[in-house]
Formats: sequence, C-alpha cells, structure tokens
Amino acid sequence: MEQVSDTLVPLTLTIDGVHRTEAVDRRSLLVEALRDDFGATAPKTGCATGDCGACTCRVDGAVVKTCLQLAVAAQGSDITTISGLAPRGELGPVQQAFWDEQAFQCGFCLSGMVLAAEDLLSRNPEPTDEEIRWAISGNLCRCTGYETIVAAVRTAAERLGAADS
Amino acid sequence: MDGGGLVVSHDDSAAALAQGSAYSGSSVRRHDGDRYLQGHIAYSDDLRLPGMSHAVLVLSPLAHARIVAIDTEAAQARPGVLAVLTGADLAAEVGPIPNAMDPAGVGGRDVALRVLPVSKVVYAGQPVVAVVAETRAAALEAAALVHVDYEALPHVLDAEAAMAEGAPLLYEEWGTNIMLAGTAGTGSFEDVRQTAFGVVEGELRTGRGAPAPMEPRCYVADWDVQTSRLTWHGTTQAPHPLRHSIASFLGVRERQVRVVAPPVGGSFGYKNFGHPEEYLVCALSRIVGRPVKWVEDRTNTLRYGSRDMRLRYRAAFGADGRVSGVTCHMLANHGAAAATGAFGMALAGGLALPSGYAVDVFEAEYQVVVTNKGPYSPMRPFGKEASALLMETVMERVAEETGLDPFEVRRRNWVRSDQFPYATSTGLLLDSGNYEGLLDKVLEDFDLEGTRAEHARLREEGRYLGIGLGFEVLPEGADIPGALIGASDISTVRMDPSGDVTVLTGVTSPGNGNDTAIMQIVADRLGVSMDSVSIVQGDTDICPFGFGNVSSRGVLTGGGSAALAADDVADKLRRVAAGMLHCDDPGRIRLGDGMARVEGEPEQALPISAVAGALYTVGYIVAPDVEPTLEATRTFKMHNIRHQPDDGGQFNLFSTFSNAVYVSVVEVDVATGLVEVLRHVMVHDCGIMINPRFVVGQFTGGVVTGLGAALGEEILHAADGSLSTSGFKTYLLPRANDVPAFEIAHQVTPSPFTPLGTKGAGEGGVACSMASVLNAVNDAIRPLGASVNELPISPHRVLASLQEVDR
Repeated sequence: MEQVSDTLVPLTLTIDGVHRTEAVDRRSLLVEALRDDFGATAPKTGCATGDCGACTCRVDGAVVKTCLQLAVAAQGSDITTISGLAPRGELGPVQQAFWDEQAFQCGFCLSGMVLAAEDLLSRNPEPTDEEIRWAISGNLCRCTGYETIVAAVRTAAERLGAADS
Repeated sequence: MDGGGLVVSHDDSAAALAQGSAYSGSSVRRHDGDRYLQGHIAYSDDLRLPGMSHAVLVLSPLAHARIVAIDTEAAQARPGVLAVLTGADLAAEVGPIPNAMDPAGVGGRDVALRVLPVSKVVYAGQPVVAVVAETRAAALEAAALVHVDYEALPHVLDAEAAMAEGAPLLYEEWGTNIMLAGTAGTGSFEDVRQTAFGVVEGELRTGRGAPAPMEPRCYVADWDVQTSRLTWHGTTQAPHPLRHSIASFLGVRERQVRVVAPPVGGSFGYKNFGHPEEYLVCALSRIVGRPVKWVEDRTNTLRYGSRDMRLRYRAAFGADGRVSGVTCHMLANHGAAAATGAFGMALAGGLALPSGYAVDVFEAEYQVVVTNKGPYSPMRPFGKEASALLMETVMERVAEETGLDPFEVRRRNWVRSDQFPYATSTGLLLDSGNYEGLLDKVLEDFDLEGTRAEHARLREEGRYLGIGLGFEVLPEGADIPGALIGASDISTVRMDPSGDVTVLTGVTSPGNGNDTAIMQIVADRLGVSMDSVSIVQGDTDICPFGFGNVSSRGVLTGGGSAALAADDVADKLRRVAAGMLHCDDPGRIRLGDGMARVEGEPEQALPISAVAGALYTVGYIVAPDVEPTLEATRTFKMHNIRHQPDDGGQFNLFSTFSNAVYVSVVEVDVATGLVEVLRHVMVHDCGIMINPRFVVGQFTGGVVTGLGAALGEEILHAADGSLSTSGFKTYLLPRANDVPAFEIAHQVTPSPFTPLGTKGAGEGGVACSMASVLNAVNDAIRPLGASVNELPISPHRVLASLQEVDR
C-alpha cells in the first residue's frame, strides 16, 4: 500500500462554513476531493474538462469550475457550494426563483447555473435577457432549453430589486 | 407572440379537465424542488456504500482488432487491486447480455454480446479488461499496466461501405454487416407514379448525434453473500426490466435482484437498459464479494450515437399538390451491436411514416448496418426525426414543383380532423388530432406575408433570411411484443390512518416532473392537498412493476393507472364517510379541500383524515361493509394497440400520437455559413396537460436537442476509427446564447384512448425543430440556387452548397 499512501497529502478547506482537514490524493481535482474526500456532493462531475459547469463552486469569492483546479491548489480556501448558499435549510432568492420558474429538470447542472446566476446579479442587478444568456453560457443544460433558467434569473433580479428599493 | 420571451397559453387544458380539479391542469412547482436547489439530491455517483470498491475499464485503442493476448500480471500486483478480469475470465461466470429488444424477433441478426469481448474488439473505446480496486486512483494506476496484444483488422465506418462486397465483417458469423432489413407500408409506388403529375426525388442525411445527458452513467452493484441477493443502484430509466435482465445475465432468480434507481441526471433514451457495464458491475461484485462502482466519463458518453441515417425518397404528386405515393429507403449506421434495442429507431422511423399525411401508397424500406463506430443508443425521439424530416422535405419539394405555397401543400395533404382515428398506410392508428388547427394557431401570431416581404427586401441588401415549417406526429406509449417495453404500468395508491397518501408506481422520472404531476392527479381524485401526498419511484422491492420512463409514458400510463387506483380509494372513503355522516347515498359524498362533505349539506362534513382513521380503527362500527384497506393497485390496457396483424400484415404498437407544427425564421450568413435562428414559433398538441409547465419543459428541452441536431451536434471519427469529438469542446451542445427565445402555444385534442385524455409528451420538439430549421435554411438560400440536405447544417455544409452553385 506504500505507493498509494505516498500520494496522500493533508488538505484543509472551509466548506459551507465548516473548517476541515482530510487526506487527499495529491493528483485529485478539486471536484474529486470535494466529493470523494470531504463528502460535499452538491457539485457534480459532468465533463471534467471545464465545459459543462456542473462542478461549479464559489472558491474564495470567485466562481470556479472545480474540475479545472487541482485540489492541493485550493489549500486553505473558503468554498461555498449550493448547499451553503442559504442558512438553515432556507432557499436564497436565486434558488427560490429557480424553483418557482421550473428552471431545472434533472437538476444536475444546478450548481453551475445557480452560482453563475448569483455571480451575474452581484455584478449586474438588472441584466438584460442577452446578458443573462451570456452569463450562463459556460454552463450546459440538456433538459430545459434554457428558457426557464433565463426567466428565473430575470425573476430573481426583479425580486432582489424590489427588496432593495 | 413577439419573440420577447416564453409565451405559454394553456387555458384549454384546465378547462378540458373535470370540474373540481384543484391541481390537475395547473403548473404547480416540483414537490421536491427545494431539495434539488440545496444540492441535497443524491444521484448515483453520490452514493457511498460501506466497503465500496471501484472498477476502471481498459479500452481498446483500435476500431477493429483481434485480441491475441492479455497480460494482467503487473496490474494484479499493484497495491489495492482486488481483481483484474478479461472477457474470457467472465464468459465462464455469466451469460451474454440479454437483449432489451431482440433484432431476431423482427427478422434481424442477433449477436451474443458479452460484457467484455472474448476474441475481438469492434470499436475504438470498447472495454476489454476490468480492474477492480480499493480506490478509483488505484484502479486507474493498475489499468495503465494491463497490456493487451491486438492484431489489427481492417475497419469500416461508413454504412454504404459496410454493405459493399468484401467489406470487413464485424460479426463474421452473419456473413454480412446488415443487422436488419425490412419494409413497411401499403400499395405500389410504381402504380401511382404512372398517373402522377410529377415525381420528386432526393436524399437526406442526418449526422450521428449523442444523447449526452449531463450526468454520465454510473452503476453500483452490491452482491450480498449472506442473502445471495444483488442490490443494484444506478442510472437507469427502467428498474423492473433491468432487474429481469440482470437476473437472466447472472443466472439467478428474478427475486434475488433488487434494482434501485436514485434520481437521474437526464436520460433521453441513453439510460434505458442493455449497456455492458450495467451487467459487468454485477458480475464483478459477485466475484470480489464487495460493492463495485463504475462511473462513466464524458468521452465515453460520446461513443454512443443515434440518427446517422441516409434517407432516399421519391414522391408522386398531383397538380393540386396532393401526394399520392411515397417510397423511401432508410439506411441507418448502427455502429457496433448493442443490447439496448437501439436498432428499433430505424423501425420506429419507418413506422412513423408518412407522418400525419393522408398518403395512401407508401413503400418504406429500411436497412440497419453495423460499422466500427461506437454502438447505437436509444435517443429521443427514437428515429421519428427521420420520418418528420423526410415528409417535410417532400412537402417543400412538391410546393416548389407545383408553385403552390408550402403551407398550403401541407393543408391539402394532412389527415383531416374528422378522419380520426385514422389508419395510416404503415398500419398505425392515429388516435386524434387537428393538424390544420395547429398551423392556424401558429399563423395567429406569425405574419407570413409580411415576413416574406421583409425577407425579399433584405435580400436586396444581401441578407438571406428564410421561413421553414416543421410538422411532427410522434407515436408514443409503445408496447413492443416480445420485449419488456409495454404500454401498461402499475400504480398503487395507499392512504394511511393519518390521511397521508403514498403513491407507488412503476414509472420513473428522469427529472421531468412526472412524479409531481402524478401527485397532482392523485390529490385531486382524493380531495386532499398535495402536501398530504408523496410518491415512490424506482425501487423494485417497493414499487409495482412498470417499464420506467420510455416512449413518453410517465403521466400517460403511470398517471392513468394512479388515477384509477385513487378512484378506488376515493370510492371507499365515500362509503365510509356516508356511514359516518348518516347519508344513505355514498354518491352524494364530495371529497375536496381535505374534507368529505354531503352534497348540498355543507355542515355535514368530516376531515378525510378522520374518515381514514375511522376505517382503520373503528371500521367494524362505522363501516361494517367496507373492506378495511385504503389501498388500491391498478393498471389499464390501451385499447388501440394491436399485436395481431391485420389483413395487410400490419400492427399498431403505439397508443398516442402527439403532434406539433413549428415555423422557424433563420438568417444564413453567406460569407461564414453560419445559421442563426431568429424565431421559433411552436404549437403543440399532446392532449390534456396535467401540468402545462412541465409539458413545456419537455418541449423546450426537445427543441434545443433538435436545434443541436440541426445546426451543430455531430459525432465525428478520425480515419483510424478513433473518436474526434471526445468532449464538449468538439461535440457542440447548444448553449444558452446559441438559442432564441421560444414562442409556444398549445392546442388540446384529448386522446379518446387514454384514461385522462393525455398523450405522450416526452419526445416532442426534436424532429419538428430539425425539419423547420432545414426548411428555413433552404428557403433562405434557394434564391441563390443552393440547397442543403445534410444535418447538422454546420457552416462548412452551407458554404459547400453555395460553392456548388458558383461552379
């Protein structure tokens, strides 16, 4: 077993507010470490080449496709998955809008879609439909045809705007 | 409909449903949407079983080769490795993979497919050796040390070349590469040709497409030595049929197998049953005595293809644009053989002809050919895109030849709304429809003449825009004789002493919301709130038998049988309530809002939960004549399915025929060849809609699959047979900024053959989009004398067609 354990290194992450250290294969992608070693399975592996976005998380404030980063490169990072977006089992405004607008079917793309939408609205609170489509274009969905996802982001923007004013 | 966003009108559906429907006909949200949005849904790859080991497969680098020798010694010696097994090792342990549909059943050629090949490989990427280890990393390391000695054989990728004399044979015992050949239709084309005003002929080609759900396949098999029982978890559409076939594969009793299907990340036909790895993990788990997991990578999903057809047609027509006869030859490139029944796509494509047109003479001939591409996979709409493309091309060509308006040519050829049920020339019995009504509805918001005038004006500026019509009739709710693909699913409805309701059903949900829709149906029938209802799907130890989710069956058969079961329970509740409320006639008890009320006497009422509790606890007092259960299990038969041949030797394997008309507007950039879809106007008819928003979701998803097939998605191979499109950078799924806003409306023509008047809705939009976009592109470039007949209409194909004109 020596060769196998040789590849293990300790990795410390804060995931959805919980600070933990686990032994991680140093060859692992961040998404693999999150899912397999830390048990954070909300991000999914859809391609492992950065094309589908299903593995998206917020890493130190930036929206990151976690299949494009080695786990060890995230040492000490603060990571938010969609499980950590809203406290105490409630839904955040973007999540709520996705539910209300039927903006997903199989749900496999949701990590990426919701985090990309949150990221857009944090920078641009009143996006046009074209801006929404551009913002989520790094994330693939095979079920919805994107129409209701665009509607959900629009709805979330309206609700957030109404709440602010 | 101005293109500014999703426009949905569905008032008809709610009105057409019975009075008193609190939920059915309304677009309630997914019952478990909050769990999805918090990342709390456990998909197959999220499962962690105690002691779980990991399988990694060694793949063939060659498209066609004999396996000379396999050296597994170095791999076996790696730390953490539990087993390294070859096809020869496993052939002694387990049988071949049972066919989901047997090609021999329809006169085709079968091959006993092994989970790993014993003597040769027939496509690049075919699994050859399985390595099981403690971790996936250890299995990957060991797999890299397996050495396979191959003797390369000549390979063939093209279907026409595969049929040529001297072509390399994939399965030598066949003596040919033709897996299946047959005919469908009625009458003699030659006869009608003699008297026709004219004949058009031509060819169409569709590129190889992949179902490519976002979630790749993943299987976990867990053989329990103590109980001699296998529990299988994984990405499947069809738990019960899979259970049956796993038992046959392992040589155990069906009761020794439990299949559990966690929520699935999209399926689209790909996750029906019959893939080698589904069975392989079972054998591996029994051998190593531990749970074994295999998870697919993205590249492997793109080895599985569909479509890849060549269609040749001739159509005879009158001066009035009426088509009197069509003959077509369909050649499908299957790739390597599969046990998934994917060959049936050619059959279904043939049977779905001549679409919804009253063409009395139809001769269809089909050939399914194996080649050294990856295997064919079922994919929505299961070959029916070929029939829509063919007939919509014929209609356009006839319009061109006769000088008639292409929309008018459709009207003249459609089966009229007063002709249903209508027997087609391929033997199908179209249940109901109003095709002209669909077009009328499209044109309510589409200014045809104004748009044409605008396009003519833009042509003066050197811009090329076009309008195209697509029309689809989709045979759904299939019942295939001899196969575990049937049109009757079973549902159980159970009410607890507290009044809580559980629905157990044999249909599964690939994420489309059919679980919520079935809950809506049941809540209405029992007069309780949605909050009181839960549903269980996808566990063969818990749910009654069903065929999962194939052929658009979820609400059609699962919802229909759940409605019947709920009605039985409701009848009992009425009898108990009548006794408790001192009402002589249970027929006067109304169930609604969680209450049982005597009609006309609003003060005479009881909570339904109290009625349920009373039957369980004081049934001998309050309801001495009522059997003390609040549970019913029901199913039903589709009365229009016919497996006995008629006089012409034809069958009807399908129960409903949803339909749609689309009109697309595209602009073709003649400098770059790029096609942009500017408008996509759609009117569907899938009968009664239980949850219109879910139905729309099915269509919009199908539309984007259709747009991908029309404009970008194509599996390509290098000359050596290796996959060129190995990921989403090269296999181009449409992204959000590639597709327009959709304009959607519905027409509701209830099916007379289904309990709720519903029709299948799961395959809509793909075929129609392919046809409307193809026709729109040709409308745009016709003034240049150019045309395209091959999909996807990638820029290089547009440019090639324009260059052809220049020469």
